[in-house]
Amino acid sequence: MKKVIISLIMMFGIISSTSLAGTLVINTDTSDAAPKEAFEYIIKKFEEENPDVTVKWNVFDHEGYKQSIRNFLNTDPPDVANWYAGNRMLPFVRAGLFEDVSDIWKDSGWVDGNLSENMEHAKKSMTIGGKQWGIPYTYYQWGVYYRKDLFTANGISVPKTWDDFVAACATLKAAGITPITIGSKYLWTTAGVFDYLNLRTNGYEFHMDLTLGKVPYTDPKVQAVFDKWDELVKPGYFLENHAALSWQEALTPMVNGEAAMYVMGNFAVAPLKEAGLRDSNLGFFQFPEITPGIPMAEEAPTDTVHIPSKAKNKTDAKRFLIFMSRADVQEEINKILGQLPINKNSSVKKGDPFLKAGLNMLNNAYAMAQFYDRDAPAQMASEGMKGFQEYMSNPDRRQKILERLEKVRQKVYK
Amino acid sequence: MFPTPIHQRPIVNQYIYKIFLPISLIIWLIPIFGILMTSIRGLGDITAGNMWGTPSEFLLFSNLYDVFTNTPMIKYTLNSFKVTIPTMLGAVALSCMTGFALANYKFKTNLIIFFIFIAGNFVPFQILMIPVRDLTFKIGLYNTITGLVLFHVAFQTGFCTLFMRNFIKALPQELIEAARMDGASEFRIFWKIILPLTRPAIAALCVLIFTFIWNDYFWATVLIQGDHAMPITAGLKSLNGQWITAYHLLSTGSIVAAIPPVIMFFLMQKHFIAGLTLGATKG
Repeated sequence: MKKVIISLIMMFGIISSTSLAGTLVINTDTSDAAPKEAFEYIIKKFEEENPDVTVKWNVFDHEGYKQSIRNFLNTDPPDVANWYAGNRMLPFVRAGLFEDVSDIWKDSGWVDGNLSENMEHAKKSMTIGGKQWGIPYTYYQWGVYYRKDLFTANGISVPKTWDDFVAACATLKAAGITPITIGSKYLWTTAGVFDYLNLRTNGYEFHMDLTLGKVPYTDPKVQAVFDKWDELVKPGYFLENHAALSWQEALTPMVNGEAAMYVMGNFAVAPLKEAGLRDSNLGFFQFPEITPGIPMAEEAPTDTVHIPSKAKNKTDAKRFLIFMSRADVQEEINKILGQLPINKNSSVKKGDPFLKAGLNMLNNAYAMAQFYDRDAPAQMASEGMKGFQEYMSNPDRRQKILERLEKVRQKVYK
Repeated sequence: MFPTPIHQRPIVNQYIYKIFLPISLIIWLIPIFGILMTSIRGLGDITAGNMWGTPSEFLLFSNLYDVFTNTPMIKYTLNSFKVTIPTMLGAVALSCMTGFALANYKFKTNLIIFFIFIAGNFVPFQILMIPVRDLTFKIGLYNTITGLVLFHVAFQTGFCTLFMRNFIKALPQELIEAARMDGASEFRIFWKIILPLTRPAIAALCVLIFTFIWNDYFWATVLIQGDHAMPITAGLKSLNGQWITAYHLLSTGSIVAAIPPVIMFFLMQKHFIAGLTLGATKG
């Protein structure tokens, strides 16, 4: 009998001790090598700093996650899940599946001080209905990558305004160089150009209204964007057979000095450098101003962490989100990812001029767009990008394309 | 004799043959040559557009190293074996028995059953995609090696049965009758007489099924979601980076994936060719 009692007490002890030590369940889509390594690092560090918390981490396949998250947020919610900022999180926020974490953004009582101040520039893309719904931990910049040597050889300086930019294209074209390379086989590259033209012509708020379906595609403001686009497409400033090439294949003319610029994300730098370009002949500049006076918003797809509203261990989940927002943690994560931290107090790997330029640009950005296919719903995005590609190949069909997109808009945002 | 041996044809035809054979061979082998060349390049060469020229660096070993260290390639290879070998054993064992029964016993539904087996071969598997996925999901075998193996066994047994039935049918009936006269049980006949005689057919089938299943991509992607059960053909896509298609690693990985069936082919070449023609003219 004694033995039984002792073993019962021991069992009870074990049970109660496990329930005391919190288990934090984290679901992520970080199946690719670098993001996986980054999360391995984060979780190890978090467990070291919080010995009372045991993390259970489920890695989902990057593509499959988009489906799985809809299921598990409802049926088997983890305590933390990663996702994306902006309109991508809108359906989950509307369905009440994400926890409001505005208190973390307001709280200034923890180690790193004021989050709202250090991440002010990213707050807009985390805000829906005046509240914040997650913490951003990494992003990367978009902009124009260019061949410095080709610019120098043709006496072009980095264009700051639209007129300069168009003039630079004209000079390059006259010199027999393709001004802008692009590979639109998989469509999305065209959206990068469209987003920037719209952000610079009409501003961030209009761009968000458009991607949220509040503005018709036949709106004169959208026409104005295509007027600007015409100035590049009609004189043939883009790579000629772009519809046959992937974004990666369109790097080749730039490496070989046949094309001078690429409107692209920072991930283009690695393959360009591997193919032999150096900091001396490869440069980066911010997409030039079009309508003077419009605050400069940038394209910066942001990865975020959220607490599902049905999470079991919200206390530790909050600790994890605060941890993820810290400058030192973001610095380390982004060193592994080769991307940019959102916290302004973080620094980036020394000696990388592209990261440095991106950090400066984004820290001073008015707001962050998440990229057309994240800001607009999937169906609208896919039709939209098809339309952009068709327009770039046949600029004369512009009116028809916009009317078609308007029809899609009315169907999608019903 | 058909086809007429080439050295009995007119001299002009012989020359045409001698000229076009190497040319068509080269055309056929260009893609494979391309993969071999790409597997020793770095990504830099590919981005710079140097696809067919001399590689600027020889990177075969570093590519191989990357293939095996950056991704669970070893696990994928093991998974491929875990899928292929049980399927091969299962399908061949089942079809030996069905083939024996359909070839030797006269019963009413014999032909119908045989036709059902054959008909299975004519159903395009794209049609089966959704029902099979739902079925495995409901049984609880979705995303498991067992599920994939069971499906492959079921699907391959049709073809194997056709093959074995025709082979056994062509064996001299007297052997079986003699054994029966001596009082051998039916199982004993199967085990002691039929199986040893069908050994060449079994070997040929094993080689065929091994290559079929090893090279399967479709069902692996339909029925398997995670790394834990992914065979190598479908696992190759994990060699791509988050942003970049790593053509050099994909090529190296494809070569690694192709090695086992190639080895199997050369070891069992005789059986393989026999397998393609065995039973084809008998019915």
